[in-house]
Amino acid sequence: MLAWFTPKRETWLFEVNPALKFMVFFALLLIALFNQNLSFAVWQAVLYSVLFYGFTGYSIKKLALLSIPLAISFLSSAGTMVLFGKGSNVLWQWGLIKISEESIQHALLLGSKSLSFGFVGFTFLLTVQPVLFFYAMMQQFGLPSKYAYSFIASFRLIPAVTEELQIRRNALKVRNIHFSRGIKGVYERLQMYTVPLFAQSIRRAQRIAVAMEAKQYQMGAARTYYYPTHFSRMDIVFTTVMAGGLVGTILLAF
Amino acid sequence: MIFKDLSFSVQRGEKVLMLGPSGCGKSTLLQVLSGIIPNSIELPMKADTITLPESWGFVFQDPDTQFCMTYVDEELAFVLENLNVPRTDMAPLIEKVLKRVNLHLEDVHTPILELSQGMKQRLALASVLLLEPDVLFLDEPSALLDPEGTEKIWSSIKQVAANKTVIIVEHKIDLIADWVDRVVLFNDHGTILADGPPTTIFEQYQAELKRYGIWYPGVWQEYQESQSFQSMMKNRKLAVSSEKIHLNNFYGYRGSTPKIYTESAVAKAGDWIAILGENGAGKSTLLLSLTQLLRTNGVYEVNGIPIVQKKNKRQLPTGLSLVFQNPELQFVTNSIAEELIVSLRGLTKQQAKQHAEDMLQLFNLPDSDTRHPYQLSTGQKRRLSVATALTPQTDIVLLDEPTFGQDARNTFAILEKLEELRTQGITILMVTHDMEIVKSFATSVWTVMDGVLHTNSANGGGSNACLVHT
Repeated sequence: MLAWFTPKRETWLFEVNPALKFMVFFALLLIALFNQNLSFAVWQAVLYSVLFYGFTGYSIKKLALLSIPLAISFLSSAGTMVLFGKGSNVLWQWGLIKISEESIQHALLLGSKSLSFGFVGFTFLLTVQPVLFFYAMMQQFGLPSKYAYSFIASFRLIPAVTEELQIRRNALKVRNIHFSRGIKGVYERLQMYTVPLFAQSIRRAQRIAVAMEAKQYQMGAARTYYYPTHFSRMDIVFTTVMAGGLVGTILLAF
Repeated sequence: MIFKDLSFSVQRGEKVLMLGPSGCGKSTLLQVLSGIIPNSIELPMKADTITLPESWGFVFQDPDTQFCMTYVDEELAFVLENLNVPRTDMAPLIEKVLKRVNLHLEDVHTPILELSQGMKQRLALASVLLLEPDVLFLDEPSALLDPEGTEKIWSSIKQVAANKTVIIVEHKIDLIADWVDRVVLFNDHGTILADGPPTTIFEQYQAELKRYGIWYPGVWQEYQESQSFQSMMKNRKLAVSSEKIHLNNFYGYRGSTPKIYTESAVAKAGDWIAILGENGAGKSTLLLSLTQLLRTNGVYEVNGIPIVQKKNKRQLPTGLSLVFQNPELQFVTNSIAEELIVSLRGLTKQQAKQHAEDMLQLFNLPDSDTRHPYQLSTGQKRRLSVATALTPQTDIVLLDEPTFGQDARNTFAILEKLEELRTQGITILMVTHDMEIVKSFATSVWTVMDGVLHTNSANGGGSNACLVHT
């Protein structure tokens, strides 16, 4: 699983301080979220697609695979908006379905926004190492170490939980447990899986917390860092490129 | 209340071993002595005076719940970060400490996930050594390790702790019995029963050690010489012997790669087959393939009926049952009695109830309609998980290390129950690392090596030439 997230080559995006990258991307997503202008939204999506397809350093195959959920989210959000959106200049109507000029515009706006979110989100995930991200958050942005380490520790637990899920699935088969159909079955499944998995996870989390304190981890105490993260020239390049890109899209849009 | 009016002290440099029945509070005392209680775990506690060591390290029982980082070097660096060690000093310190515990890795940036359990415990020891502790607290560090891992962790501990104070809680003590200076024996109520040099304690309190299920040196030998074992093993044979499992050119797959293969293998009624092999050799894969939880290929007959795998609907072969290693993950109901009934098919309510009662009695389980399976002791949980696998149709039981991490008393109890089932004609296939079990109970041995199952019982077969199929 982790091996899948190894790029073919490490692009310049990898050299950007991960915490700064997060902040910049977060700001860009806020702009995308609150923007109501269609052509600005489209150009933003184009900009971020260049980032995603051109500069993440992953193979075309993997990027194509990741594009599938993006396409689905675009089609589903835009599709419903086209068919059921409000509007006065009706182009075509059939029963509940009403396609209007406004609804098409809204659909494209919404679709572009969801694409922007997808591209930026994936670009960040593909070009960041989680551990380094949290180290940078601690060092450059003063995130309290307790939050950083609880996130890092929870990453470590993911494989254990997936393994347990698999064992539980097998155990239920061996125990000859059959679930009802429909909603009731969903509820039964939820109960059969969550109770033992939660019990195991809570116990594990508690033990790890005790072990961490036994290794003299103290909340709020001064500490050194194994992975030093800094701001570098690449951060200036990155910020300039992103700001320039944004200005470019504004010029193209208005 | 766990302890009342307890006084306890340890001198500098002493090596102390704490023994007692499970649940007597030894581990709790260890946590009090280190200050984990009440600093990290809040428990009501009162003490007239309490003097704690200034620098200490703690190695816990479970190799999987001691680390918060993903890689070996990151985990060790975490300790150094806590100690405010400058970054430039970290790499040499990490390398040095790994050498001290005999953990040799090609690259220190290795995922902890890829280490064996024994290596993980040595890593835990290494991370503790970085604290430069005067006192080492060891809470059953080898309980969940195979024999090889157990030997390595203790030899590392002996090496690094020669001039430290060491306080140990452990059941498996044959490797440390002559290393410690002092043994403290607790009884069920958390009071100290005896406190003295190991030789005296082992001589004078043998009955207690036995009752508390402690793996004291020579416990197997004594068990094998005991009256009950002798009479159980006398005339160990079976009236009928029909083929229960038949494998021919059999493959088991994980994904699309074959992970286990055997040319041919046969298990008969009343066989007790021990499945041996290194970690990762494919023992668990074999069990999952036999239960059809994985995709398989080749000839596979259970009770003479060929098992044909349907593409999307894999079914457990009739008569076969599997007991996993973690009992809690296979409990499905809210009470012990229900747990024994839920898997039954085609029985009247009365019959099912009778079956549950029989099982409760056979496995010495408390009869309670309201008690949740999670509330049982670890030994009881293990016995219940074996009991749930037995329905009236079951005649082949597969077990994944059923005695793993259990104390001596529970181990013998489980083995005796299995032997009882075996004499009734049930076939037992059991993964184990424990050669004593193989020697005393197995009727033949299957060895899994690099994904291939070998069944030539000529050189295996335990020591049970006395078992005759007629």
